[in-house]
Amino acid sequence: MHEMGIVIKVVKTVEDFARNNGVTRIDTLVLQIGALSPVIPRYVESCYPMVVKNTRLEDTRLQIDVLPAMARCRACREVFDVLEHKSSCPVCHSGNPEMISGNEFMIKEIVAF
Amino acid sequence: MDTYKIIEIKESVFEDNNQRAELLRSELKKERTFLLNLMSSPGSGKTTTLVRTIYALKDEMAIGIMEADIDSDVDARTISKTGAKVIQLHTGGMCHLDAEMTRQGLEGLGTQGIDLAILENVGNLVCPAEFDTGASKNAMILSVPEGDDKPLKYPLMFSIVDVVLVNKIDAMEFFDFNLDVLKERVSKLNPGIKVIPISAKTGEGIDQWADWLRGEVKMWNNNSDCRSL
Repeated sequence: MHEMGIVIKVVKTVEDFARNNGVTRIDTLVLQIGALSPVIPRYVESCYPMVVKNTRLEDTRLQIDVLPAMARCRACREVFDVLEHKSSCPVCHSGNPEMISGNEFMIKEIVAF
Repeated sequence: MDTYKIIEIKESVFEDNNQRAELLRSELKKERTFLLNLMSSPGSGKTTTLVRTIYALKDEMAIGIMEADIDSDVDARTISKTGAKVIQLHTGGMCHLDAEMTRQGLEGLGTQGIDLAILENVGNLVCPAEFDTGASKNAMILSVPEGDDKPLKYPLMFSIVDVVLVNKIDAMEFFDFNLDVLKERVSKLNPGIKVIPISAKTGEGIDQWADWLRGEVKMWNNNSDCRSL
């Protein structure tokens, strides 16, 4: 339950961005969240309406793209989804993968008028 | 209908914190204040360990403590009995401290003349691992009753700390805790990590911990490349 503080920060960042770039109306805010990120999309969505109240983002829709947790096997270099394969390489079954993605939490873009 | 455009921002939400943390670290280096970020689950014995640490080092260096909790000042009161400079930070529901909150804490504490500042982070193994506080080094306490499988459950925490204190080893016989297994699990996540078994209650292992800390503080504060004179 740390999402509220993080969402407040995201909204401030986007407001600053909008101000500095002369954007008046933001239709959609797109976030990217890695499947292994400790930021949980469901909680972000539930606190978002509360956080945007009386801000420039009050009427802005929130869209969350979840990025898969991908890793590369250190033994055979195969790239695979760690959640799907429980961290063990589907080709050589080595359990020593190197994470490539899945921990992200990014403000990807805004759709603005 | 209005015409709209998509504007790429591509900003990592944690990136801003990382930059602030780097800045804070370089400022602390100039001021010759070593900042230790101490993390753990609730109830692992952070405050008791801190009291031991203060007694072990207070005659050789000036120590300042920042107690971060969601509420209350019981920990700060306990620490203040040691004579060390202490302030209580209230995170107001936030489950971790970020670099900006740490900076405010340090300003409240006053770092001038402080050789070793210790931040007792909020008791939590998840979020504090995500946010760089600007500390010189990161340490965590894992207590025996919590189990030797904690590194499997909270891998990020164990991969970002420089040292793990295994506390409450005086109670080892009552729990199925295997220190060798723990060491193996921890070094798999973080090959350079140091594991120090301690008992904050009996004082066992505190010397080794104090030695490590003393060495780190010395290295940090003696580095001449930031000398202002």
